[in-house]
Amino acid sequence: MSDHIATVKKAVVDGRHTEIETLVQRAIDNKADLDTIINEALIGAMEIVGQRFAANEIFVPEMLVSALTMKKGLALIKPLLKGDGPESKGCILILTVKGDLHDIGKNLVAMMLEGAGFNVLDLGVDLSAEKVVSKVEELKPDILALSALLTTTMPEMEKVIRTLESRGLRDSVKVMIGGAPVDSKFADKIGADGYGKDAGEAVQLAKKFLHLN
Amino acid sequence: MKSTPYNLVMSALYKGEKGSRPPAGNPTSIVCHDLMDACGVSFPQAHVDANAMAELALAGHETIGFDTVMPEYSVHQEAAALGCEVDWGSRDRMPDSRNFPYADFSDVVVPENILEKPSMRVVLDALSILRRHVGGRAAIVGKVMGPWTLAYHMAGTQNLLLHVGLGEKDKINKMLRQLMPVTTAFARAQFQAGADIMVLADHATGNLVGPYHYEEYLLPIHQEMTATIEGPLILHVCGNCMDRLELFADAGFDGYHFEWQVDAKAAVERIGHRMCLVGNVNNAQTLFQGGPEEVRKQARYAVEAGVNIIAPECAIPLATPMNNLKALVAAVHEGY
Repeated sequence: MSDHIATVKKAVVDGRHTEIETLVQRAIDNKADLDTIINEALIGAMEIVGQRFAANEIFVPEMLVSALTMKKGLALIKPLLKGDGPESKGCILILTVKGDLHDIGKNLVAMMLEGAGFNVLDLGVDLSAEKVVSKVEELKPDILALSALLTTTMPEMEKVIRTLESRGLRDSVKVMIGGAPVDSKFADKIGADGYGKDAGEAVQLAKKFLHLN
Repeated sequence: MKSTPYNLVMSALYKGEKGSRPPAGNPTSIVCHDLMDACGVSFPQAHVDANAMAELALAGHETIGFDTVMPEYSVHQEAAALGCEVDWGSRDRMPDSRNFPYADFSDVVVPENILEKPSMRVVLDALSILRRHVGGRAAIVGKVMGPWTLAYHMAGTQNLLLHVGLGEKDKINKMLRQLMPVTTAFARAQFQAGADIMVLADHATGNLVGPYHYEEYLLPIHQEMTATIEGPLILHVCGNCMDRLELFADAGFDGYHFEWQVDAKAAVERIGHRMCLVGNVNNAQTLFQGGPEEVRKQARYAVEAGVNIIAPECAIPLATPMNNLKALVAAVHEGY
């Protein structure tokens, strides 16, 4: 890996958001391949961030700053790419289910999935099953990621899956679930395709769903 | 010592004489639909009406058999008084706030008459009602939100944590110090109104921040508060906090209320000689989705580990079967 790529990567891992634009520009000026900057430096950095988070070496504050750093770096590169932007690994719709306003976990997962090269559409919080399924029908994502932080809202996840089935859409999308009260047993019970206990696992699951491992 | 609920709880709080059995306590809400139906009081009424609030708390002791009564079911009493627009929810939904009045970290304006705000007054009045009903018989538990939790409400959780990550120490410390007097004043007022014990909930949880964040930002503030608030204090911090147990003991609290993710045996071994330990039956998988036998197993594990007051790990899911709560109480009635 060239020095410039390694420097950009380290800056994202360390969350050096005030320096990242200078470093990315330097890499661009020195003719570094844009896809390499994205995949090795930016996405590669977020993989390390995800591993450190899973190992409790860093916590949410550091993850947020690394994600911010990565976004700033990516924003410099995007206008230079041919076409609409870096090639997406797949489209993921993510949201918090009806009755639940909690979003920090969902936001972290969205950041990590974006950091891993997926195109992430965040529908926000408090989404009814009907609304979710209409959006699946409209946007045709590869993966639907459902979040709930409350035991009272967990049943909404099952409602989404049942509604997908009733509209004949279940086979068109992989469903992953996450959130503090949820576990793999619950995922199996409601017929979800997988469960991730944190943002890092969500990324691995998304890659597995789309055979990207 | 007579093994009355009050005696058992207060003695356990200071790791004193053991009675005939461990106490069952609720530093956090044990309200569920079954309990609401049993006493005829529901949410959201019990968040905003003192008599309803007290009635539901009393039912936790008289109907289920907990040795404590605790009338604060939401985490939004102070937030509402400080300017958050709180939706008090419904029978099926806990309260939530929809705005963050200090997202820009401007100076927090604490109203001079904050204790008279309806969301604060209702708790104080409910405690006085409970004092008249069970004073000296069951332990009356009050609850306040600490400055870190209040900062989540004032600035937004993700916004606060981003600023932590950005190293905006002055902004964060200023907000915490401006909120600290709210916690302290409410705690003192609740003791005066009739509380025997105060739970201080401050969500610097392992699921969000590191032990080094707690040590830098919150430990000094907790040490100041525990030094100045007279009366027994139990710290409540959710999530996996195995990496910061000794810091909680250093903070000067009399007790720590902990979750299932913190192993009871390990907690007792590491800080059981310094603090009363309260917990830690699992909510989502055990109390909510499990049965009485699973509840009993976890409660007995905690008893045998040396946990001083047996409790659910956090505010229980609203659809928790009351029989599971009764199973926790039955487990402590088996004795030591």
